[in-house]
Amino acid sequence: MTTPPAAIKPASTPAESYRLTGELPMVDQAAVPFIEIETVRAKEFIPAAKEAFSALLLEQGQSKVIRPTFNWAGRNSLFPLHWGLACCAIEFASAFSARFDAERFGIVPRSSPRQCDLMIVNGTVTWKVAHKLITLYEQMPEPKWVIAMGNCATGGGPFRTAYSVVPGVDKLVPVDIYIAGCPPRPEAMIDGILKLEQLIRERKE
Amino acid sequence: MQPDDLSTALGPRLGDRLLGVDAFVGTAGRVRFRPEGALDLFRTMRDDLGFRHLSLVGGIDWVDHREVFYVLWSDDVHQYAILSADLPADQPHIESAAPIWESANWHERETWELLDISFDHHPDLRHLLMPDGYTFHPLLRSFKLHEPEELEVKQRSV
Repeated sequence: MTTPPAAIKPASTPAESYRLTGELPMVDQAAVPFIEIETVRAKEFIPAAKEAFSALLLEQGQSKVIRPTFNWAGRNSLFPLHWGLACCAIEFASAFSARFDAERFGIVPRSSPRQCDLMIVNGTVTWKVAHKLITLYEQMPEPKWVIAMGNCATGGGPFRTAYSVVPGVDKLVPVDIYIAGCPPRPEAMIDGILKLEQLIRERKE
Repeated sequence: MQPDDLSTALGPRLGDRLLGVDAFVGTAGRVRFRPEGALDLFRTMRDDLGFRHLSLVGGIDWVDHREVFYVLWSDDVHQYAILSADLPADQPHIESAAPIWESANWHERETWELLDISFDHHPDLRHLLMPDGYTFHPLLRSFKLHEPEELEVKQRSV
């Protein structure tokens, strides 16, 4: 015994009506807006599209796509300059060893200032080495940041009144992050770099 | 080698420019000489007595005068010897030992910039530890430690 077909429900949409009845729904042609379609050739279309796209990029892309992307990429792959000045350089080196492994944060020390965007001043800066430090800083491409690691780079440390010591590296280059300690432990250095990443994230372009 | 040996070897060569040879712990002796006899003394020490290595040049500021000393090492007798000369406090200068011992070059540059002892006929008397244009001589007793900001202002003008 077959079950009787269910009562046909009235169709709610034109598509459902077509499925149920097999008839094209009546469309009120007067209500459809008339769209004038302009045909263009490809060699006219491509420059126009390029122009429109670049205008859109200029308007929207730089602030919403390009700069956030570069910011994200830059802050997650900070390349510090690989140069050591004093005992803080030992902690700097051990931060990249197996126990602390700072490379998991994308921090890779590079040997050339032209490949770096981060200078970690790890040690006592003397007046003799001051202009070499400035030269290295000026060779780094923009955008660039400086971390003063340890008490000597922050403010001269125990040698503050000495005749040959720069009382704080911020007398020479602009410093973004100061790390206290004599010397700071590798955790402190990594924490400082993560603080710098936070700083870059909050940066107003 | 004893102080008497040094005295007998150096006496005829230097005459009254040799002021005396003292005993000094751990060395063959401490030779005191007038600065005029420096080059003769250096040559004698190197060529005749075999002190072919100059391990250190230094100085002391005694306020009323300034002392410059040289520490020599001999591989023949395996002993040190010290040469010491008193210089006037006003414009102290002495003949450079760089033609005799190559290692005197940098040591004398350091002694000059820290203690303001000038070395005549030095091949290259420049600053060694301090930047060029540094005008102080920090190991002199008259040098006062600056406040960092004050020193910074002075360095900026360099």
